[in-house]
Amino acid sequence: MKFRFTLFCVGLLMACFIQQAAAQTLQVSGTVKSKSTAEPLAGATVSAVGTAQATQTDAKGNFTLSISKGSTLSISYTGFKSYKYVVNQAGTIQVSLEDLNTLMNEVVVVGYGTQKITKISGAISTVKGADIERLKPVRAEDALQGRASGVTVVSTGSPGAKPTVLIRGIPSYTGTDPVVVVDGSIQSLDDLNSINAADIESVNVLKDAATTAIYGVKGGNGVIVVTTKSGKKNQKTELNYSSNLGSQQVLNTIGVLNASEYGAMLNEGSVASGGAILFPNLSTLGVGTNWQDQIFKNAGLASHSLTARGGSDNMAYFVSGAYTGQGGIVGGADKSYFNRYNATANLNVDLSKRLKATVNTSFVNIRSAGVPENAINSVISNALNFDPTVPVYNTVANTYGKYSVSNTILSEIYNPLTQLDDTHNQYNTNKTYGKFELQYQLLKNLKVTSRYGYTNTDVTGKAFTPLSFYGTGHINSTLNADGTTKVGAHNNVYEVKTSYYNYTLENFANYNFNINTDHHFETVFGMAMAKVTGNSVSGSRQDVPFNSWAFADISSATGTAPNSGLDVGSYQYERRNLSYFTRIDYDYKDKYLASFSARRDGSYAFGTNNKFGNFFAGSLGWVVSDEDFFKVNFIDYLKLRGSFGITGNENVSPQFQRISTLTYAYGSGQNAGYTFGNDPTSIGATIASFKNEDLGWEKQQQLNAGFDLNFANSKFSLTADYFEKQISGLLFTPSLSLYLGTASAPTANIGTTKTSGFDLNLGYNNAVGKNWKVSSNLTFTAAKNEVTETNNGLITGGGYGIPYQSVTRFEKGQSPGYFYGFKTVGIFQNAAEIAGAPTQANAVPGDIRFADINGDGLISDLDRTKIGDPFPTFTMGWSLNLTYKAFDFNTFIYASVGNDIYRAYERNLAMTNKYRGVLARWTGEGSTNDPRNPRYSFTDANQNTRVSDRYVEDGSFLKIKDVQLGYTLPNTTLKRLGVSKVRLYAQVKNAFVFTKYSGFDPEISGGIFDTGIDRGAYPQARTWSFGLDVKF
Amino acid sequence: MKKYTYIIGLFLVSTFGSCTKFVDYNPQEDYQITADNYFKTAEDYHKMAIGVYSPMQWLWSIPVIGEVASDNSVSGGENATDNIALQQIDDYQIVANNSNLTEIWKACYEGINRANYLEENKAKLDFTGKNALYGEVYFLRAYYYFELVKMFGGVPLFTNKRLSVGDSNKFQRATKAQVYAQIEIDLTAAIAALPVSNSQQGRATKHAAQALLGKVYLYQDKFTDAAAMLENVVTGPFSLATNYGTIFLQAGENGSESVFEVQYSNLSPFYDWSNPGRGQGNLAVQICGIRNLTGTSPYASGWSTNLPTANLAAAFDAGDTRKAVTVLDIEAYKTANAGMNITYTVAPYKNTGLYNQKYLPRVGQTSGQVELNYLNNYRAIRYADVLLMAAEANNRMAAPNDVKALLYLNRVRDRAFGDILHRSTATGTALKTAIWDERRLELGMEGHRFFDLVRTGQAASKITGWVANKNEVFPIPQAEVDISGLTQNPGYN
Repeated sequence: MKFRFTLFCVGLLMACFIQQAAAQTLQVSGTVKSKSTAEPLAGATVSAVGTAQATQTDAKGNFTLSISKGSTLSISYTGFKSYKYVVNQAGTIQVSLEDLNTLMNEVVVVGYGTQKITKISGAISTVKGADIERLKPVRAEDALQGRASGVTVVSTGSPGAKPTVLIRGIPSYTGTDPVVVVDGSIQSLDDLNSINAADIESVNVLKDAATTAIYGVKGGNGVIVVTTKSGKKNQKTELNYSSNLGSQQVLNTIGVLNASEYGAMLNEGSVASGGAILFPNLSTLGVGTNWQDQIFKNAGLASHSLTARGGSDNMAYFVSGAYTGQGGIVGGADKSYFNRYNATANLNVDLSKRLKATVNTSFVNIRSAGVPENAINSVISNALNFDPTVPVYNTVANTYGKYSVSNTILSEIYNPLTQLDDTHNQYNTNKTYGKFELQYQLLKNLKVTSRYGYTNTDVTGKAFTPLSFYGTGHINSTLNADGTTKVGAHNNVYEVKTSYYNYTLENFANYNFNINTDHHFETVFGMAMAKVTGNSVSGSRQDVPFNSWAFADISSATGTAPNSGLDVGSYQYERRNLSYFTRIDYDYKDKYLASFSARRDGSYAFGTNNKFGNFFAGSLGWVVSDEDFFKVNFIDYLKLRGSFGITGNENVSPQFQRISTLTYAYGSGQNAGYTFGNDPTSIGATIASFKNEDLGWEKQQQLNAGFDLNFANSKFSLTADYFEKQISGLLFTPSLSLYLGTASAPTANIGTTKTSGFDLNLGYNNAVGKNWKVSSNLTFTAAKNEVTETNNGLITGGGYGIPYQSVTRFEKGQSPGYFYGFKTVGIFQNAAEIAGAPTQANAVPGDIRFADINGDGLISDLDRTKIGDPFPTFTMGWSLNLTYKAFDFNTFIYASVGNDIYRAYERNLAMTNKYRGVLARWTGEGSTNDPRNPRYSFTDANQNTRVSDRYVEDGSFLKIKDVQLGYTLPNTTLKRLGVSKVRLYAQVKNAFVFTKYSGFDPEISGGIFDTGIDRGAYPQARTWSFGLDVKF
Repeated sequence: MKKYTYIIGLFLVSTFGSCTKFVDYNPQEDYQITADNYFKTAEDYHKMAIGVYSPMQWLWSIPVIGEVASDNSVSGGENATDNIALQQIDDYQIVANNSNLTEIWKACYEGINRANYLEENKAKLDFTGKNALYGEVYFLRAYYYFELVKMFGGVPLFTNKRLSVGDSNKFQRATKAQVYAQIEIDLTAAIAALPVSNSQQGRATKHAAQALLGKVYLYQDKFTDAAAMLENVVTGPFSLATNYGTIFLQAGENGSESVFEVQYSNLSPFYDWSNPGRGQGNLAVQICGIRNLTGTSPYASGWSTNLPTANLAAAFDAGDTRKAVTVLDIEAYKTANAGMNITYTVAPYKNTGLYNQKYLPRVGQTSGQVELNYLNNYRAIRYADVLLMAAEANNRMAAPNDVKALLYLNRVRDRAFGDILHRSTATGTALKTAIWDERRLELGMEGHRFFDLVRTGQAASKITGWVANKNEVFPIPQAEVDISGLTQNPGYN
């Protein structure tokens, strides 16, 4: 079957039949409906082929047209198969148009315009609103995971928190967040916490240079284009209500020692280090307390959403109101939560025949609270490391506190329940965002648009750190055992108010024209001004009355210590961009496609010699299946695509020659003070930084090659893309002559990286028999990254522990953010082995044997090497939607392969609890040679706990992310209720996880340097829920 | 319809025309103070001048190297790789990427650039006291260049402005003579401008500049000039402290014998371990301390480096009060002071049993991050040093004045022995040797020995491993050779 476009067909047929003389005229009227939904189609084109006679259906799908006898009537509607028949008599007809494969007809929102998907020669992934709505994600990115090929999402369990989102690999260390464009307004990934899933019409991910270059310096990390719903003209109000109520729980716990095992291990460790038996009577210890059972609570998840859309002759509207509330499973919903209220109004008004206005306004209120996460002092870390021999509740008479304390763990680690009790914070975010847009139809094909998009955010937060008792002698205790305050200790309340205001003002014109009917041009050109501002004031004060959250406020605190116990701070920033852009899309007979885009971008952060950068991209497409010579029946559609272009990344800060009057500037090693005799330090001044007038952007060259294929009667669709990215201009410190002194050298555009990869999307859509419908989609995403130049510099990133040990690095010749440490090769079984091995200071039998990577016969820091990579080699997503009569079953499975995890949640103090693996420790020659299980001793002269592959685990996983079973009520029941559709469903999110990782959750999100380091990360919960979707 | 066209047209023109100023940046938007905001008031100049002093504090390792590289002390430390930069110098296995040498190079040039920044802006404003202030600046620039020329020989020389990024890789080494000439110019200007005394202790004075210029002459064997210049200081307002030991106590800082001291302080404690020597504390103090010292002695513990040699201890005659002040024999001290309950860890590497008493860390003299904030000033130029330099100059100048030389030498010896029975009576070459030997005893562990041995041609005979025509100077930092293409000193390639 050859696919044809309505307009194109009409045009061709007109040309063919124009000579035919008119004969007898007949009046035909009728109703046009959709075959699948049986709903009337408003605005369908009804025409007599070969004549100028044409009309459109009204709101009820009705039309009337006079037509000559014997001529062909054509009824067409975007997204439906055209219907044609030869008219031989007047009368009324009922036409039900068949849905086309929607993918083929879809219109995709691209930069400053839309494009039919068939005309696109760049690389774009699309996730439809229906899929997003069905998943009911708290954040929209969750819906991209595994559904949009080329996008890697590492989710987090912390309510409302931002996941790691990578579009086509890791180009840089300066930030990998893609830019987010909501209805044309440029926002950031952080802003995706505010969008109600039910408001989303579609999400398109622009991946290659051809589609992103029009976003220039912002496009380097890819672009997520979110389109929200709008109303339709002449449509009666359609109301949708959906509700989802669920409960979340932790999937699993980590194996730590119970009290008896703990006692035995501590005895062993103490004796091995020359100490005494600590627990002479192990039999009294029992299993003790598993603190994980104490901190994890079931927490609720609820969402309600009511939307209405419709329109009259000259306006259309979409309004919605929604609530989403997610409690946290760590400590329960009163300690960590994310509650969001949304109100949205999207209005399209025809001010005149030529002038249209669009006003989108969304108001969001978010209330949230959190607990310490993914750090040595996190609640989870405390639960894993705290003493299992003490009971939950304090049983010691006349001592302070509800929960018990440990008398042996005296630093950092303390009772996680006390910590939860002492965690008090709340944040309130009010956010208004949207756009004002005017569109003026200057000429028939020339449309001028002016758009002002804005985001205004105000965040108010407060946190309170009470005085507390964590044990006598515990370094964090601020109270004595009897509840009296320790000398010099104070409680503290902290308040912060932060405001952000961002706007983008864009003016552009779209001009579409044809040359000789077969050469189609769609062009856009315009300019944009963008400004991002933020400011914050914060303060804290000591001595809150009654040591109570209820009284925690700076106004009530009574601090008297230096400066009345007050501490204040502030910051502000601003970024500005000025841009000019254009794009020309061309096609010849819809068969040969070409596109060219260009953007000239200026950023206030760039050096004076480099204020503006130019970005170009071009792409070519060829619809092979439209060629006459192409006669493969099995294949319905085949398009080859290729693109090349340049985008950028402006993650730089403006540089200037700063004067420092600091006594000491940390990190930069600058001081400008001097102390003459015993006078207080005199404040001096000095130049503290140089500036680089040539500073510019990170430049990305991307090559893309791919194809789109529909086969087996378009039941299958396959899209595949290969890409290569060369990134240059990463910021590194240049090597400057030392005689310039010690002022901070300005960073310069020096580093380079290389990324290549492969994205694939395979879809299947079919109806089997009368009652079955099947649709399924498989995505595959793979990317390989390598740092190719860093000016011999390297960036050490995330680490863990006390003392702090660094794990991740950004270094030449390696993949970004890789794990760096020692490789282990076993365990020293006896003294002879130690003597025979490369010199390893202080090793005794039972200690880990490290690899002598550089072969110098000495185990030293120089032997550290790559021990893991936190980013997956590839990820896959598979969705399956089955419908049988009124029942529907949906499932979504996501797999990530090749991502390593660094297990960093063990505190490793003598008295802290241990990971269960210690039970398999080396206990004598021949007992084990597994380097994960060295001998256990309190002292660790061999540094068995140094950063090594001992702690690296394979974090590959397969997650059943979503399982849903739904039932749609029969129409007959509904009609009596005045309801058009009701669907009830049960849903399980994160139903199962298959992984070898021993921790809670193999998805450890964070920046490039923190992804994959599990310091006690917040695990994703399994959610059981029931939902209801009603359409009126 | 027309009006809409008009409105939109106007809008387009106004925004397209809104020019590129939109993306210009002024640091003031971020409330950042930049060079543009400076040198508007006298106070700005004073602050900038204070900043010129700061890098002197970062030069803590020069006196340490001055001893470790000589026959006076060994590197010590925990093991052969601990404090590798000092080990290399001690063992004469010096490689050009030595971290201490690199830091010295950078710190001196930071000081020079800071001074030059004032030079660059000298004409912008006139104010009371400007002349004297610039006297300090020139003194400091001379101080930094002198440290460089002493350590490295001829170095890149620039004086007119603070270098910026564009000046990277633009300079080659000047000759030693050119650098000395500039030092003399600066010090001569400083002497003319500086007051005899300053209300704040530690600021450069006329006499400090004269003493430094005299020393600079001496290093060039310009003995007549040196004698004349130093005479100004000998007759200046200084006197030898009665008790030699008190000079190195906190109470003795900026005392009667102090001609110029690098001021260190614990009043602004810092904790930056990535740049441990760049605060206001004296890191040389921490590193020479006794390991794991406990008990009630006045000393605090440290890292057992820069340990005096038995050779130095043996050089002192019986009755010389300077011996106990210069070297601390910890076992003897422990035995003599049993009541202090002293325990300590024997220096694990190159132990001599002796410690640098003058600069040992002392209890209560640091703050914050204790290792980094010792307040002990570095006694850069003492009156006794000036006397001995003057003695040497008088002895070695074209028309020697041994009477004066002896007089000055014996003033030092009288104080050392607390009597007049140990006076030298030597003349001529014997007197010269006596003065040189006296310098070792009087200034032991104060960072002069290596430079004196090189300057006086004694290094080859006194220092094991020292190689002539190479070890007179240290290697130019490798990074500077690589980046700026400077010629390396002979023997270090």
